This record gives sequence, C-alpha cells and structure tokens, in this order.
Amino acid sequence: MRGAAVAQPGQSLRELVDAMRRGQLSPVELTDDCLARARQHRALQAFITEPGDATRRQARRAQQRPARKEPRALLGVPIAIKDLFQTRGLRTTGGSRILRSWVPAADAAAVARLRSAGAIIFGKTNLHEFAYGVTTANPWWGIARNPHNPQRSPGGSSGGSAIAVVTGMAAGALGSDTGGSIRIPAALCGCVGLKPTYGAIPLAGTIPLGPSLDHAGPMARSVDDVGLLFDVLTNSSRWEMMRRSRRQGLARTRIGVLRGNILQPALPAILREVDRVAGALKRQGLAVREMQIPELTWTVAAQLVTLRAEASASHARWLRSRPSDYGRDVRLRLQLGTVVSGSDYLLAQRMRARLREALRRAFDQVDLLLLPTTPITAPVIGTRTVRWPAGPEPVDGALVRLTAPFNLTGVPALSIPGRPDDDGLPIGIQVVGRWDDEPRVLAIGRLVEELSK
Amino acid sequence: MTERDRLAAQVRTAGLRLSKADLDALLPAWKRYQALVEELRAAIAPDLRED
Repeated sequence: MRGAAVAQPGQSLRELVDAMRRGQLSPVELTDDCLARARQHRALQAFITEPGDATRRQARRAQQRPARKEPRALLGVPIAIKDLFQTRGLRTTGGSRILRSWVPAADAAAVARLRSAGAIIFGKTNLHEFAYGVTTANPWWGIARNPHNPQRSPGGSSGGSAIAVVTGMAAGALGSDTGGSIRIPAALCGCVGLKPTYGAIPLAGTIPLGPSLDHAGPMARSVDDVGLLFDVLTNSSRWEMMRRSRRQGLARTRIGVLRGNILQPALPAILREVDRVAGALKRQGLAVREMQIPELTWTVAAQLVTLRAEASASHARWLRSRPSDYGRDVRLRLQLGTVVSGSDYLLAQRMRARLREALRRAFDQVDLLLLPTTPITAPVIGTRTVRWPAGPEPVDGALVRLTAPFNLTGVPALSIPGRPDDDGLPIGIQVVGRWDDEPRVLAIGRLVEELSK
Repeated sequence: MTERDRLAAQVRTAGLRLSKADLDALLPAWKRYQALVEELRAAIAPDLRED
C-alpha cells in the first residue's frame, strides 16, 4: 500500500529495496520521507549540503524505471555521501572553508559505483574538517550532534553520515576511515560501519588525509545492509554469496576476545557488553578464547607519526598559503606534522610492519578478533579529556585507541551496535578479520547483531 | 636554545610562519610527540640491533 511514511526510520535498506521491487513503495515516496526527516532533524547538523531539488529529480528518474524490471541493487535508494567524496555537479567542501564553493566535474569512484547501482545521492554529510579529527565539531559548517542526546558528540569524522543513517534521513551512507572515522561514529550513534581491507574500495576522487591509512566504507542500519553496500562499492558479490550460504562453516569460526593493556582503561559497561557478546557466541557453539597482542600497545605512537606526516604532506600547499583558513585544531595538527622527520616516519613504518606481523600470528590462532569499538560512549560536546582513575586521556586519543590499529594494518573491521548502556547510549562491538575476509567478518557481525536484540 | 626556540626553527625550516599563539599551542603537542617517538625508538631498538 502506498502512502505517506511508508518507509519507517528503522527499516533496513534491503527491506526498502524489496518494497520498491514489489511496487509497495516508490523512489519518490521514499525520498520525500527521507527529506522530511532531514528537515525534522536539521538541528543535528548532519548535512553540509542538504539534499534538495536535484535529489527529487533523481528519485523521479528512478521511478520511471520499473523496479521489477530493473535489477540494479540500489535503484531509488537514498544514500548520504560524506562531503569528502567528489560528487558530479554537487558542492564538495571536505568540511572546509577552503573548498566552500568547489563543484567537481566528476564523481569519486565510490560515488560512481553507488550511482551506477541506482542509488539516489542524498546530500553531502558533515564531517570533521578534512576528516582530520573524530568529533565532527566543524568550525565552518556546524557542530554535529548525537541523535541519542544532542548534548553529546556523534563522533567522527563521518559523524554526519552516522546521524543520517540512525535518524532515517538516508537508507545508508558512504564514509571514510583513517583512524576510526567510520567505526567511531557508528559506535557512538548506534549504527553499523565497515572499514574494509585497505584498497578494497577505490579512493580516486576522495580528498586524501593519510593516503596509507585512508579507507572508504559503508554505513547502514544493519549488517546485511552494510554487506549489500560493500558488494556495490567493491563491484563484487562476496557478501551476497556468503549471505546465501547462511552459516555454513561459521560454527567452526574461532574468535579471539582481545585483552591486555590496549583495553585499559575502558568503561566497565563497555567491557561487560563485549563479555556478554563473547559468552553468547560461545553458547552458539563458536570457539571463543581470550587473546593478547602486546604489540598493539605501540599503535598510538605509530599512528600519530604516520598520520601527522602524511596529512601535512597532503595539505602542504594550503598550509603554507592559507593557514588561517583552517580551524584551529586541524591547523595545529597539520603544523605539527611539518616537523616530523624522515627518520621518525621510517621508525613508525618499522613498528607498523611489526604490528602487521603480530596480527598475522594472531590470525594463525583465531579467525576473528572481538573487542569494543571505543573505550567510551559518546562524550559531551566540548569535552577534551577523559578523566580515568589512573589519569587523564585526551578524548580523541581514547576514541581512536581501539580502531587505529586496523588502519595501520589494513585489515577489515566492523562496528556493530551492542546493547546500550544504562543511560541509553550506544555501545559499539568491533569484529576484525584477516585481510580480504570481509564476508566472514560480516557474517559473524550479523550473528552479533542478532544476539544483541 | 629553549625547546620553544628549537620548535620555531624547525617550523621555519618547513616553510611555515606561525603566530606566537600557534607556537605556544603547538609546544605541548610537540613535546608529547617527541616522547612518543622516543618510546617507538626504544621499542624498535632491538630490531635495529639485529639488522
């Protein structure tokens, strides 16, 4: 039956696609629903460029192609795009003042794949300036706010994409992740986010930050939806094949629950939630054991040196010619990067090789790692320090502590909402797999999702 | 030469002109950065001896 609000905010992308194929929902109706929600939640500052007339035109064009005869995976589905990806004819700012009026002539490769699959490009979402930070407190385009509590941060840098997904403004979103920028907002806002294997999704047409750490990836309301988007973005059917095989082989999956210094400190509620998930997986018959990877302790140093150097190289020209056009926090990070020496950078790469080797050894013993996505829930906006009993930790350092290891090593990592804490704030559970093992990561992620309802 | 002077010299070498406020703000971050690099160097040192 057609009509207003046919699509519910929590409906999965696959349900929406199926409803359109059955003729129960049209692209225009769905887009209008999403536009209404974008207006309703405008105060959350999810968008830099709000979806507008062009979006409705795309929906009308999609409607002219009968969905039943049109096999494209995302026909008529609104997908929000982080404003770090170039969009043909649609302003792309990178969350900056420097690019405030730039209208690219071509799509980024990832956007082109979404468009080819029939997706409606649904606005450009807010982000930490140039993706160089994890709070989405953007000095030029507004401070993004967490849908569960607007006094709190949505995380970042893909904060606007997470807000759009969680509130039902869009059925899915495209994000990028250099130190956790997909998984952190997914965890703090309560949606699913995948950072795939390094290089799995092409980055052509994406504003670079740390080229050896940058990843593109999907965000959505369910693991299956993220898998569907992953297939589109990688031009493959790897998730679809795993999904059809159901749980064949998964019963023999070995899970390593990460322990050790890297998890200390963390909120007890978050550690308890990981333990609950681990126990539930064990009761499903999976081989669950505890595991330590001491080398991960060095992640923060290796990530910081690598990212500071690469980001400053990416921004060298503007940093010299237009320093005052950067927000203060990003400008200071970029300036610090200019004093990273070649020998410091090589030192970090040596440590990075050691981390990769440590992960290879870990994956000889287990198939997947299980750990929290973040050691804290969404911080109050403006908070700069987490006050642990053992001492203070910068909020941005705490937020990337458990995600950055997998940017340095390039393995796939998925954040799935666990059960929320006593205040109703989302908790993210992270599943990490071997290089190119996204289907298994997604399959166990889907099991975690089912066990967390 | 103070640490602040050394930082200012390095930044100048990199071709940047920093305001006094930016330099003051950068100094603690630079000190933290140096401490982390020293930790990395100490951790990697056994590998280097084996090379």
